[in-house]
Amino acid sequence: MFRFHRVESIKPWTIIATRVISVVAALALGALLFAAAGYDVPRLAGDVMRGSFDNMFALEDLGLLVSPLILTGLAAAVTLRIGLWNIGGEGQFYAGAIAATVIGLEIHADPALMLVVLGAGGFLGGALWILIPALARAYLAVDEIITTLLLNFVAILFVNYLSTGPLRDPGQAVTSATARIPYDIPTLVGDLHWGLGVAVALAIVIALILAYSRWGYEVRLAGANRFAAHYAGIPVPRRLLQTMLLSGGIAGLAGMLEVTGTVHRLQGGISNNFGYLGVMVAVLAGGQPIGVLPAAVLMGIILNGGIVLQSYGVSIYQVLALTGLILLFIAVGEQLAYYRIPHMAQRPTR
Amino acid sequence: MIELITGVLATALLAGGVLVLGALGEVLSQRVGVFNLGLEGLMALGGVSAIITVAHVPNAPLGMLAAIIVGLFAGAIFSGAVVLARANQTLCGLALTIAGSGLASSIGQSYSGQPAKAIFNTVSVPYLSDLPIVGRAIFSQSPLIYVIWIALPVALHWLLFKTRHGINLRAVGENPAAADAAGVPVTLIRFCYVTIGAGFAGAAGGYLTLAFVPSWSDGITGGRGWIAVALVIFAGYRPYSATLGAFLFGLITALGFVGQARNWIIPPAFLSMLPYVVTIACMIIPVIISRRLQRRLAAPAALGVPYFRDQR
Repeated sequence: MFRFHRVESIKPWTIIATRVISVVAALALGALLFAAAGYDVPRLAGDVMRGSFDNMFALEDLGLLVSPLILTGLAAAVTLRIGLWNIGGEGQFYAGAIAATVIGLEIHADPALMLVVLGAGGFLGGALWILIPALARAYLAVDEIITTLLLNFVAILFVNYLSTGPLRDPGQAVTSATARIPYDIPTLVGDLHWGLGVAVALAIVIALILAYSRWGYEVRLAGANRFAAHYAGIPVPRRLLQTMLLSGGIAGLAGMLEVTGTVHRLQGGISNNFGYLGVMVAVLAGGQPIGVLPAAVLMGIILNGGIVLQSYGVSIYQVLALTGLILLFIAVGEQLAYYRIPHMAQRPTR
Repeated sequence: MIELITGVLATALLAGGVLVLGALGEVLSQRVGVFNLGLEGLMALGGVSAIITVAHVPNAPLGMLAAIIVGLFAGAIFSGAVVLARANQTLCGLALTIAGSGLASSIGQSYSGQPAKAIFNTVSVPYLSDLPIVGRAIFSQSPLIYVIWIALPVALHWLLFKTRHGINLRAVGENPAAADAAGVPVTLIRFCYVTIGAGFAGAAGGYLTLAFVPSWSDGITGGRGWIAVALVIFAGYRPYSATLGAFLFGLITALGFVGQARNWIIPPAFLSMLPYVVTIACMIIPVIISRRLQRRLAAPAALGVPYFRDQR
């Protein structure tokens, strides 16, 4: 008999390989479960891939899902860099959407200028939504996971209240939604708007800031070892606060882009769980802003799969269950990567 | 007025029961050092299992049993991941919440919106139920109420603070290395109590769909799992305080119902926000008021930290 042997550190490529293996294993288990439930898995998989890549329309749809996922993923990733969890992306997304809707419906000005104003409003809305959890975390050490998450429920209730009450468009008989926001984000190709470009650019900018600026260095140091950062003279609480506000703002921007570019009206359920899936994206990406890009594409395909497969009776819930499974496999795989079978890992050198 | 107080009290006990069960399970889990953020998912799984069971065999206790067993089973998977494989507890908890809620909603689709085929009926205690106010509020409820509000908190308090096993159990959460050196089986205790705690959360789901609502629909847990986790934190990881906190939240929920029924000027959406907002306030305000209080209610020292025997 041998005992597994835990090694102190592993190489970066081992981490990436483990992550890929975890995702593949979770998808394989998911496929097995779907097969056990009586689905024709190869055909479903083919349909999902066709639904995402087959033609330009499919790619546009995928792009429309990937853009908010990049931003909500980025939002969760920046807090991971400083060792915090922002699970409230869903709420900040809605807060950004609310801010953009209210500004867009109330203020009439030059469209190009207004897009900038709407973007700023969305960012501020998201940042405002995370302000109290961020202050409590930075200065009072109150656990941020629960406070950020609970505000999601508040935001969803608030959106439902606004879209069925004060902001409801009386012209809409069937659905409860606000009037159409009179500003549009220019399109890139077909239905796909420039939100995707903004998202990708922001991911690159944030990656550069974190990697090369003094601020980014301080954030990363505070994330690696908060006490060491404190002794090095870094104002840790201020960095915690700034990182969380930035995170909320990015998620709010995602909400603004979604409501202005894709949905055009504020209504309940405009977020396809983008906030929650953003946490998944960030974890898949290992908290790296550039890693968010491929992770968001993968999550976009999975989410799109749920939409494409609705005709087979597959619902968004099965997709969510599958993403939960992937998350669990990543978490476990991350630890298992540290274990070696001693006989194989190292030969006695004496 | 008396009618109103009776109604609020009765609803508070009924609504708070979900939180008592969830919070007590989380107390067990956190006292042995494991942060279980999967409560929401466990509740959803428990709730849907109970509903499906009673749809086939209309027997409420049997449905409850199914909820507990499913909670234990999902909890064992979670424990396997965080205690045996020592995976990140936050990640696994979120995974459990997402996977559990998703799975529950997908298998519960065909049962959504229908009333439960069997529920926990109310039983009026002779004579006591005739008392003013408390009579109908306390003594004309399902017998389950007494188990949840009295028997379980007392039993847990006794286990944690009055027995030798309880000392071992808390030692595992405070200083697993020392507990290990003293011969306490750290991994076994963690695995068992995290799993049992998950069983409580499953029961909370069963209670939700068989006694409180009583039916199943998507998102029926509505963040109660998260509120239960928060409750444990600001109750200082103590069974009695957590139970008291659950009662306060029951009152807030009941107040929301009354407000909606009586057409208060406050829009219903804002009344529905109350439990979440109050939870956040309860997590922050005590810390602002007194740092000493915060220390007194401090978390178990090894909470959230996986234990590696070879690294002590």
